[in-house]
Amino acid sequence: MNSQESNRFTAALTQRMAEDANSRQIADAIGAMWADIEGALQPVLGRRGVAALFKRTLHLTATRHPWLAALRAGGADSTVDLVELTELFAQQSPAAVAEAGCALFTLFRDLLTTLIGDRLSERLLQAAWSISSRAAPAQDPTP
Amino acid sequence: MTSKVTINRLSTGVPGLDDLLGGGLPEFSFNLIAGQPGCGKTTLAHQIMFALATEQRPALYFTVLGEPPLKMLRYQQQFSFFDPAAINRSVRFINLCEEAMAGDLDHVLARIAQEVAAHEPSLVFVDSFRSVVLATDAGGHAHNQLQRFMQQLGMLMTSWQATTFLIGEYFTETDANPVFTVADGLIWMRQSVQRNAMVRQMEIMKMRGQPSLPGLHSFRISGNGLQIFVPALATPSRGGDVASSRASMGVPGLDEMMDGGLPRGYSLLLAGPSGSGKTILAAAFLTAGLLNGETGVIAAFERRPHRMHNPMLARAIEDGRLGVVESHAPDLSIEEVMQLLSVEIRRLDAKRVVIDSLSGFELALGPSFKDDFRESLLRLVTSLTGMGVTVLMTSELEDRYTDLRFSPYGTAFMTDAIIVQRYIEVDSRLRRVLAVVKVRDSAHSDQLREYSIDDDGIRIGSMLAAHEGLLGGRPTTRPAGGRAREG
Repeated sequence: MNSQESNRFTAALTQRMAEDANSRQIADAIGAMWADIEGALQPVLGRRGVAALFKRTLHLTATRHPWLAALRAGGADSTVDLVELTELFAQQSPAAVAEAGCALFTLFRDLLTTLIGDRLSERLLQAAWSISSRAAPAQDPTP
Repeated sequence: MTSKVTINRLSTGVPGLDDLLGGGLPEFSFNLIAGQPGCGKTTLAHQIMFALATEQRPALYFTVLGEPPLKMLRYQQQFSFFDPAAINRSVRFINLCEEAMAGDLDHVLARIAQEVAAHEPSLVFVDSFRSVVLATDAGGHAHNQLQRFMQQLGMLMTSWQATTFLIGEYFTETDANPVFTVADGLIWMRQSVQRNAMVRQMEIMKMRGQPSLPGLHSFRISGNGLQIFVPALATPSRGGDVASSRASMGVPGLDEMMDGGLPRGYSLLLAGPSGSGKTILAAAFLTAGLLNGETGVIAAFERRPHRMHNPMLARAIEDGRLGVVESHAPDLSIEEVMQLLSVEIRRLDAKRVVIDSLSGFELALGPSFKDDFRESLLRLVTSLTGMGVTVLMTSELEDRYTDLRFSPYGTAFMTDAIIVQRYIEVDSRLRRVLAVVKVRDSAHSDQLREYSIDDDGIRIGSMLAAHEGLLGGRPTTRPAGGRAREG
């Protein structure tokens, strides 16, 4: 994935957060963004297909953010519990949440790209972006 | 009111398929693509979908159980027709895994109906249908449930004016499957393995309302998707003045023997034993064309034309005046060769075609095509001459001195002209003779002429009038009075 792409994730995430956001707010933003991605991908890949991808992403992210490992439980069929996810994130420091959140989405996008290529991933995720950008208008940087 | 409904025919974008279907795909038809796993059903469906789908004519692709969509997308995007930009714009994938897992066909149907209502697609694909059927097996009364599902789906799609494809694999042809009754079109795909070659074939078992081509037709899957080799239409028509103009053979003296050359649009069989100079004569034929500004195509099955000794031909290949058809696929069919030839002929507007040689050609064919070699060859020759090109085919001829044969295939009757080359023994030396055996509608020579091959090619000499019994291979000197060679 190129840097422009990862910036896009970070940008989409920061767009949802107020400056000086606390852990809860960042966790909610991450949860909302994941819901959008799920919404964009599930019709195409199926609920289980997306869940499998997310589990793999969690596993990869947990190597650097071990506290995420708590989420890894669950059978093959179970999908991600958003409430549980945001709860777990909310318990960390804002910096740790933001970092892990970015890592999570970056790794997810990487995984998807490895499997179905950059153009198609971009195309499928476009629905998620458009929802994200509707959520809060982009702000001009303060001078 | 006597006006009948006009059924639009959609062009499928799969080379050869429109011809096979009898003029394209009927709009709003309900079709089934069936075949074993791995025979290319999903690829065919995707190829048709990407060719037909536009924003005004969107497509819905339902993935049921079977292949996970992630994998399908991963592999299908390798094909050139797969356009990521079309996804979620003119092409939409929808996963029905949850509904199918529940095993209730009504749910599957309801979900399909819901999505069809939401997106109003003109094209609908359900892949794979097998999983829908398997999901019902648990219920016990699977047959009835399936039949109802099929009828409702068929009705739903037709009333929504959607051209529909069901992709399935479990079917056996003899099964009185409800799917067969409901479907308007039945595309059956097969793959058969014989020795080391695998042949993919397609059969249109049913296509309501239009004359599809019967029988099995071979196809190939490449990076561009499927290509079906439809038998060339045999059009034995010739242009009015074709026979009146003649093509020079490029060998001094040979044109005179043939009453002025080979009539254009004719096919010539050049038969002779190994080393008799068939390829050299064929090269002379092409060279004569090139000198006259005529482009040509050579299908070489023996020697590689790029390593041609003839510098003029090698140059013509390089600068695109001479097309080359070469294939070393182990499952080659005559239809495929014809396809390759006709593409080259059209591309170059070629006037002359050489097939060197029929023997190599037969060896190059896939095992399952060899049985029909004569029939297919006849079609090939008629199609080529029907295109207006002048054809020269070489044929390896085992030198037998006990009988006079012109070709090992009984192909002699299907060509318009025949030249035969033979070895004879004279004065303890192996010498070559040739004769023009047949040129349709021409007062050709009946002489048996000696010829030699040197750096300039074939040089036709005189008759060996002093000898007789030449065709027996061991001529005897004619008794006194039979005068020596004439000049």
